[in-house]
Amino acid sequence: MDPILLAALTATLTPLAAFGAIVLATRRRPGLSAGLAIGAVALALAGALFLLARLWGLEMSVTYTTRWMASGSLEIVCGFLLDPLSVLMLTVVTAVCLLVQVYSLGYMAGDPGFARYYAFMSLFAWAMASLTVAPTLLQLYVFWELVGVSSYLLIGFWYAKFSASQAGKKAFVMTRLGDVAFFLGLLLVLTHLGHVEITRLNAGAAAGLSGHRLTVAALLIFGGIVGKSAQFPLLTWLPDAMEGPTPVSALLHSATMVAAGVYLLARLLPFFSLAPTALTVILAVGTLSMLLASTMALVSRDIKQVWAFSTISQLGFMLMGLAAGGYVAGVFHLTTHAGFKALLFLCSGVLIHHHGTNDIVDLSRRGARRQTLAVACLAVAAAALAGLPPLSGFFSKELLLAALAAHPNPVWLAAGLLGAFLTAYYAFRLIFLLLAPPAGGMEDAPAPHHDAPPGVRGAMAAPLVVLAGVTLLLGWAEKPLARFLAAGGGLTPTAAGHHAWLPFTAVGLAVAGVALAWWEFGRRQAPRVGFAERWPALGELFAQRWYLDHLYRLALGALVDHGAAHLCAQGDRRVIDPTVDGLAAGTVAGGRRLAVWHAGRFQARLLALFLVVAALAVTVFF
Amino acid sequence: MPLASADFPYLSAILLTCGGGLLAILCLPAARTRAIKWVSAVCSGITLLLSAYLFAAYDQARGGLQFVERLDWVPSLGIQYFNGADGFSLPMLLLSGIVFFTGVLTMWELETRVKEFFALVFLLVTGVFGLFMSLDLFFLFVWYDVSLFPMYLLIAIWGSTRKEYGAMKLTLYLLAGSALILPAILFLVVQAGLNTFDLTALMRPGTFSPGEQRFAFLLFYLGFGILAGVWPFHTWSPVGHVAAPTAVSMIHAGVLMKIGAFGVLRLGIFLCPEGWRYWAQLMGLLATVGIVYGALAGLRQTDLKFVIGYSSVSHMGIVGLGLATVSVDGVNGAVFQMFAHGVMTALFFSGVGWIYDKTHTKMIDELGGLSHTMPRASAYVILAALTSIGVPCLASFWGELLVFLAAFRAYPVRGALAVGALVVSALFMLRMVQRTFYGPPRERFAALPDVPFALGLPRLILAAVILVFGFFPALMFDMIATATLPLLQGVPR
Repeated sequence: MDPILLAALTATLTPLAAFGAIVLATRRRPGLSAGLAIGAVALALAGALFLLARLWGLEMSVTYTTRWMASGSLEIVCGFLLDPLSVLMLTVVTAVCLLVQVYSLGYMAGDPGFARYYAFMSLFAWAMASLTVAPTLLQLYVFWELVGVSSYLLIGFWYAKFSASQAGKKAFVMTRLGDVAFFLGLLLVLTHLGHVEITRLNAGAAAGLSGHRLTVAALLIFGGIVGKSAQFPLLTWLPDAMEGPTPVSALLHSATMVAAGVYLLARLLPFFSLAPTALTVILAVGTLSMLLASTMALVSRDIKQVWAFSTISQLGFMLMGLAAGGYVAGVFHLTTHAGFKALLFLCSGVLIHHHGTNDIVDLSRRGARRQTLAVACLAVAAAALAGLPPLSGFFSKELLLAALAAHPNPVWLAAGLLGAFLTAYYAFRLIFLLLAPPAGGMEDAPAPHHDAPPGVRGAMAAPLVVLAGVTLLLGWAEKPLARFLAAGGGLTPTAAGHHAWLPFTAVGLAVAGVALAWWEFGRRQAPRVGFAERWPALGELFAQRWYLDHLYRLALGALVDHGAAHLCAQGDRRVIDPTVDGLAAGTVAGGRRLAVWHAGRFQARLLALFLVVAALAVTVFF
Repeated sequence: MPLASADFPYLSAILLTCGGGLLAILCLPAARTRAIKWVSAVCSGITLLLSAYLFAAYDQARGGLQFVERLDWVPSLGIQYFNGADGFSLPMLLLSGIVFFTGVLTMWELETRVKEFFALVFLLVTGVFGLFMSLDLFFLFVWYDVSLFPMYLLIAIWGSTRKEYGAMKLTLYLLAGSALILPAILFLVVQAGLNTFDLTALMRPGTFSPGEQRFAFLLFYLGFGILAGVWPFHTWSPVGHVAAPTAVSMIHAGVLMKIGAFGVLRLGIFLCPEGWRYWAQLMGLLATVGIVYGALAGLRQTDLKFVIGYSSVSHMGIVGLGLATVSVDGVNGAVFQMFAHGVMTALFFSGVGWIYDKTHTKMIDELGGLSHTMPRASAYVILAALTSIGVPCLASFWGELLVFLAAFRAYPVRGALAVGALVVSALFMLRMVQRTFYGPPRERFAALPDVPFALGLPRLILAAVILVFGFFPALMFDMIATATLPLLQGVPR
């Protein structure tokens, strides 16, 4: 068999095999289940790395397809599209999957649902890996939905908690809203072009759609991206999704699954480029999401929520960059972000696991700073998020800002710079809050997981070290990766003008953000009150997430539950059923009426008979 | 339509197995419930094997009607015993076999009036099998009525929750339907003047004028549409689902509602293609209303079985929408959806039946946290719920995909509305799952048993079928396509 095909099959299907094996056979044996899942994802990573190595030299794309089903004129194929973009994403996905699954050995140790956890993780790994290499939009949609299902299952993993099951449901339904738009866009393209092959769409087949239709299709597909990547206005599910176990948040809700939206835009960028109106909308939505989520992160006290808001904001930033034409910039930031954001979550997970709370101030009070490795890695990752050199985030942010600077409208660049400032501020606000000794002194209460066995600690520490290494070094891979991506993408890199002042401004703003955070939270006499909280109304607005959730809940209740759904349920109860019941009762009553005439009223009949005969006699004889 | 006679009367063998099983059950003493259950299981298992064999043995390259058996019954009236199977009926026969066998196994723990129960189920299923294989209008109608009457007793005796009302409502509705179907059959047979009830003879192009076709199609559509749960004639269905005992709910929602859609297809569309085209707009409208309305009404239900009942209304709307598109993809999708929905609701009711048997309630507010004590039973219902939401790689996705694609081509606005209803159906299904299975464990459910392996077997089979056709939809679509393509070629543009 062709080694490339074999590697692609390994990279996608082994986790599915692990899922099946765990569900069918080993679900009562936690250790074996975890071993199967980790072995499978390690194999998948090996396959992905092999593909990366092969394609690195070849600089071309390979496609395999086979007929899956057919109906009429429609043929649905499945297969692999292996080009630099998909293989890079595949490597990122499988690598983060492997690290997070190893980490979970420690984090989830002793959980009664241990085997179930690894089954769901394998399901996700299969769906996500297959999503990245899909050659058609339809196959991509299939796995797009499946990652949604695994996200639903994993957010609600601790289903005994009401908030967890609620968050899982909310995540599924809100992303479903976007997915319906995506599906309609898919149908629109399929109806008018007869196929949804990604390479053909990118190669200009989309020109077959008239301009108006193309814009509508692009916007509908973008609806799916909005849902999956938690962009405005569908952004409120992601912070709630933090109810899931922390490794899940690291894998699905920051590094890979939510990035699938950005990946889809990168995948279809030439197609989207044919619809400039859609690109402007994407720029606007990305900007709005980035700024809104940043403001929410300014005031949050929950460590995971801060990183969740920052995920929304960074994804918005990537969308901005892509929509401005920065293909390499967007994809590179996606890659670096996957590394440092997973690191942020995993470090936070160590603290949460050890101290049993998500609250930053509580963590600080309970002595989080004593966890040297975790806090050090957290600081490195936060610096990368803030875009400080020489960490990976610095390089990718520079690329994104350069792409925005190349856009004729300066508003987007200004918004991007403001975002960079806010990001640095809230990231280091958290760090300083954790590090600074709180006013009341530290509690010396023994932590709940004090006696964690060394194996647990090792399993949780190793991925941190690896990811910290990646965060430190990945930035230097910018040039070769950019060349690799540009070779397969078929995209001419936009001639981004060289702005010598841009890196300095960006770093300056990031440093200013860090400095402000230090002034407010870090120094010894710090007031420990953020600038946003000085205006209570503003702080409340941010803390309540701009009241978006209130609005949605109100709308759901008024329009759906007590509106349309009530109307339909009452329609059955008050209109259709009574009509039918009335018809039946009327028939019975009518029968009863008529039955009177058969009830043996002899005199009445005699009278009737007499009258009829009399009438007849009168008409006949006169 | 090309005919291929059978070398062995497989189709009659299915009917005879049912009939033989019925006789055997009647002959056994009522006290020997174990023997009765074993006879039922074995006979229904044989029908499943036979229908699966036919599905596999059908020569797809040749197409047309195969395994044909023909016998003059009343020559002076042109009535024949005429059976055959094509790409539409084989999926339905397979579905009936699956639901019948798993339904019998699901009722393994039944204790009250076992003999009567299984005898009536066998009678019902004989009618169902007969209807799917018959190609003679007279026999079709007879089988149709055979499959309806046992339902009344099954619900009224073994049911729950307003069972007399539900049983009577169902019977009256379905009889109203057959009061429309019989005149339509007689009208067509008389108008043709061929002195035959033979479907293949009557469906030759030019037999009926367009006006006659329009008239007869409307009667067929309304008559069978009642059984298929077409809005606004759907309210018998949730009420009947709720009132029926588990296996009857399974057969009822799994197979009986499919008879409605199959009747529209086999009689309405085969005999009156002109009428089909003429009334397609109306069908599309009612189907879309049904999809949206069923999903929205489902949101407000508090009884587990009502939730499933309304989801059935919504899903059968998808079948109707597929048929309304008058296109290859739409009909393919509709037939696939009939199969997928049948298996899915059977799994639903089978899982919910276990929960109801053990907890003695199906009110969602009284349940909660069942995943702790009944992980397997919960997993089956959750799988069915995910199928119902239209998750890919579970059977119903592919049917919905094709129907929505065809609908979007034919009626963009209605298609978009129907797709939008997917959000609502996700919302109400997940709400049901959350309130029933998630949450802290409840004290009073702590001691309840989970499904043991042997009793869980029917659910395992249904889940496996959902996954097989979810991963390999071509197995089913290639079969359906052998019937769809010739059918659509015969429809005037």
